[in-house]
Amino acid sequence: MIEMTLYGRGGQGGVTLAKLIAMAWFSRGKQAQAFGVYAAERSGAPIQAYVRVDDDEITNHNQIREPDHVIVLDTTLIGEAILAGAKAGGWIILNTPKPPSSFSAFRGRRIAAVDATSIAIRHGLGTRTTPIVNTAMLGAIARTFGFSFDEVRALLEDRGYRGNNIDAAKEAFDSVAAARIDGEPAAAEPARNAAPTTGLLDPGIGRRPAIRTGSWATRRPERRTLTPPCNAVCPAGNDVQAFIAAAAHGDYDRALAVLLETSPFPGVCGRVCPAPCMGSCNRHAFDEGVNVREIERFVADNARWPDPVLPWRRERVAVVGSGPAGMSAAYHLARSGYHVSLFEGSDELGGVLRNGIPGYRLPKEALDREIGFVLMHGVNAYVDSFVSASALEEIEKRYDAVFVATGLQRSRSLPVGPAMQGIAFLDRVHRQDVVLKGQHIVVAGGGNTAIDAARSALRLGASSVRILYRRRRAEMPAIDEEISAALAEGVVLEELALPERIDGDHLNCVRVILGEPDESGRRTPIADPSTRFAVDCDQLILALGQEPDRSIAGNTNVYFGGDFATNEGTVAAAITSGRKAAEHIRARLSALPAGGESAEERVSGNGATIATTIATTGDLHLNLFQHAPRHRGSALPPQDRRHNFLEVHTGLADASLEAQRCFSCGVCNTCDRCRDHCPDGILTRAGNDYRFDYDYCKGCGVCASECPRGVVVMAEI
Amino acid sequence: MGRTLCTGNYAAGHTLAVAGEANRAARGCCGGAYPITPQTEIIEYLRGFNFRKGRIVPVESEHSAMGVCIGASLSGARAFTASSSNGLAYMTENVFAAGYYRLPIVMIAVNRTLGPPWNIWVDQGDSLALRDAAWLQFYCHSHQDLVDTIAIAFRVAEDARVMLPVMVAMDGFVTSHTEMVVELLDQERVDRYLPPCEVPHRVQHSRPATIGNLTWPRETERHRRDIQEAMERVPAVLDEAIGEFESMFGRRADGAIVAEQTEDAETILIASSTMAATLRGVVRARRLRGERIGMIRIKQFRPFPRSELLRAIGGARRVGVLDRNHSPGSGGIFWNEVAATLHSSDILLQDYIAGIGGGDVTPEILDSIIDDLASRTAAVDPLWQEVAV
Repeated sequence: MIEMTLYGRGGQGGVTLAKLIAMAWFSRGKQAQAFGVYAAERSGAPIQAYVRVDDDEITNHNQIREPDHVIVLDTTLIGEAILAGAKAGGWIILNTPKPPSSFSAFRGRRIAAVDATSIAIRHGLGTRTTPIVNTAMLGAIARTFGFSFDEVRALLEDRGYRGNNIDAAKEAFDSVAAARIDGEPAAAEPARNAAPTTGLLDPGIGRRPAIRTGSWATRRPERRTLTPPCNAVCPAGNDVQAFIAAAAHGDYDRALAVLLETSPFPGVCGRVCPAPCMGSCNRHAFDEGVNVREIERFVADNARWPDPVLPWRRERVAVVGSGPAGMSAAYHLARSGYHVSLFEGSDELGGVLRNGIPGYRLPKEALDREIGFVLMHGVNAYVDSFVSASALEEIEKRYDAVFVATGLQRSRSLPVGPAMQGIAFLDRVHRQDVVLKGQHIVVAGGGNTAIDAARSALRLGASSVRILYRRRRAEMPAIDEEISAALAEGVVLEELALPERIDGDHLNCVRVILGEPDESGRRTPIADPSTRFAVDCDQLILALGQEPDRSIAGNTNVYFGGDFATNEGTVAAAITSGRKAAEHIRARLSALPAGGESAEERVSGNGATIATTIATTGDLHLNLFQHAPRHRGSALPPQDRRHNFLEVHTGLADASLEAQRCFSCGVCNTCDRCRDHCPDGILTRAGNDYRFDYDYCKGCGVCASECPRGVVVMAEI
Repeated sequence: MGRTLCTGNYAAGHTLAVAGEANRAARGCCGGAYPITPQTEIIEYLRGFNFRKGRIVPVESEHSAMGVCIGASLSGARAFTASSSNGLAYMTENVFAAGYYRLPIVMIAVNRTLGPPWNIWVDQGDSLALRDAAWLQFYCHSHQDLVDTIAIAFRVAEDARVMLPVMVAMDGFVTSHTEMVVELLDQERVDRYLPPCEVPHRVQHSRPATIGNLTWPRETERHRRDIQEAMERVPAVLDEAIGEFESMFGRRADGAIVAEQTEDAETILIASSTMAATLRGVVRARRLRGERIGMIRIKQFRPFPRSELLRAIGGARRVGVLDRNHSPGSGGIFWNEVAATLHSSDILLQDYIAGIGGGDVTPEILDSIIDDLASRTAAVDPLWQEVAV
């Protein structure tokens, strides 16, 4: 009697291999018996199969405990356990890419090795993840036991195998290698199942079942966290997903706390940010992106602002400029405990936020609230304190570090005759220092300053307001909704137009044709002198962009930031610039390794460090979401806003509904779908943490396919 | 057909099919089909077989599968099906109906543990729970035994002296899913071996009748006594069927019991199905060592072969019964029957319950049972032999 034990995994064809082996000896006139141990009827489960061969009738029907030979179909099963009960002197036939001599642990054994997995894949048997290796193994086994390949071929053909199975058997037949490992074979006790048993009425019903079904799995669920695209693109570095998640639960105080981690200006950004988060929102592929800006504004306007945190440190830091970058730096430094002195050249704090953004977009009250919040952190602010280059030298001596963010002080100009600069105009508007009743106003430019100037001019009684822009509307840098609002209020947009010369009460202009794209990708405007035209113009306002005044400079203690340094042009980017400067200053003053506590190591709402991979719609299961239109918030009708500076947008009535539209891309929001759908109940949750019981998880993948946001994914084991 | 290597399920499916096909010159064949682990391959085979006069009807439950068999048999067709475990439990009402209707249906019972707890492995409790359903029961230990017994089962069931259904049982997985060498039956000789199926009380247009309607007690008693008398005629009919099987196929099929080396045995082990097969090797090895030991495989459980058993046990002093089944509150079901058979003797009779729920009964376990039996001076309550799997 020859007895063999086969170790494999469901799906590899191990039971069939046992039958083929039995068949091989049966073909030589022997009695044979082949059977598998059934239970784990799933791909990947460890299985055993047995073969008996004898000259006489085989009567034993028990499983083989002390095999003469051992065959292992799965590389991962090669280990001590396969020697259980194995008699000395038999073959150990392994599916392995390694040479037989490398299995030094199998002392005193004869090893035959064949790379059946590679052979099966090469011949297209099964899939790359679950190759069916049985026919390749048969070739190796037949060679090992002295069968000819003609016998193998006849056997396979008799069972209906053709082509690639026979080719795989042949390759294995030819490539199987054998070696004898030195040493005495270790005594290998037959495996015994000594696990205790439990009765139905034993205490603790619902205890862990005896059959560890986790061993069936070839893959298993894992949790990951991706970066939501909104978080990735936010110039202010806000944890957009986390604050929206809190808002979705109506926890606006928590939402505000999340926002205040990165920025002191949620009410400002909730009004004036161009919101690239909304542009990048994955929900656009489904219906409409989430209205992040309005949610942020709602949170800032409705949450209870927290009391300032006031730690204490010895060092003093000066901040020059009280625009968004300077304020952000002052805020973060003060929150870290530094003594901050803030120097502002003007008579009011806020910089461009104060004098560059009209009140109908950013009411004074909202700005004052957030500047006030910064000051509550113990910042000493000095207005009317213009810092010249020489003054900066003095400040450097008195402070441990200095941050300069004086913004863009110089406006670009055009030689077209008498004109007012947009920034200066908006400052005068802010100081209620202009009257335009009955005048024809022309604004040149396409950015937010141009739109702000145009809409302000309208509100001050201008009889017409016209914007000249040298490209097309789609290329205007201004926020698109603002352009629409301006047009709705009656501003006229002249695309593809350049001002040439003021001539009395009108402005001569020239049309533009667009040439080759420049390095920014936008097509270069080229004036076409053959298409001159004139527009009524009592006042020309130039809003062509600004540049920093670089006449001040400092030594290594001085950090520069905001638009002064980066010229990124958004409040949000300036906020990040200020925060990063604060981080650098803190790192230097506390001798931390640079970047050791970098703000770029963002942390999601549930505490997990966010990975660098950005969640795309391909990571999500869009079929699990329900369509819901974007909540837009209300606004004054155009006719009601032309003659005043009342805030145009009045915001959302309730932000939680809009926040609930958030997909929470790649970030768990404890929706429990994975747990609720787990057919085996192996997924449990404690607080915000989910645990998979891998002892019992069969790797079915339902949790992953039911995770709407791509957090649960299946990984090969 | 020649010898082939195949599973027990395949062998059973093939034999049912050729037996059904053999009735094509008469009223054809029919069966209800409902799959259940570990019997499924039989149903697949039957559904894939191209009967010239017959039909396998897929139904929604085992109860209906037997319903189809009852209807088919009552209209004179050769009827058969297969089931297991909880499927048999669900079928039970109609299993009794088939027996009490005196319908010569053949059913393969692939023995599987009744749940809960859920378990797919072998245990005879499912078919033994139907021992009182007026069916003959055979428990097979090998593929060849299975094939031969199925053919003989049709012969005996359809014999006018018997006219009762027959259940042919095999061990789930251990037989059903194991490839063994077997000689399958060829159609031509099965055609000659099985006479046309004739159900004398089949319903006919020319002879309208209701079958199984309300009766008085004394009429029901008459029905039951008729069944008992039919059961008592089984040994003679089986002998004839085995004899003709041998002359047709050249092979002696096993009878109601198979006794080995019992003539001078002091110790005798009684077992059934594959546990009896494994026991053969153990008993032979002990004989070679000079022990006066023998064994009896009980193949036919209904009718229970009392006289054959008494004869085979002869003058033995100790008898051990191996039961892969359990009647709660009593003990092994085979042991109960053997005890009733030996009620007037002073033989030491000990019951061993082993392999419950599919436990792997190894030769070592059987050896330890025999050692235990040899050491006993008196019998005790049934002993449980815990088996690791």
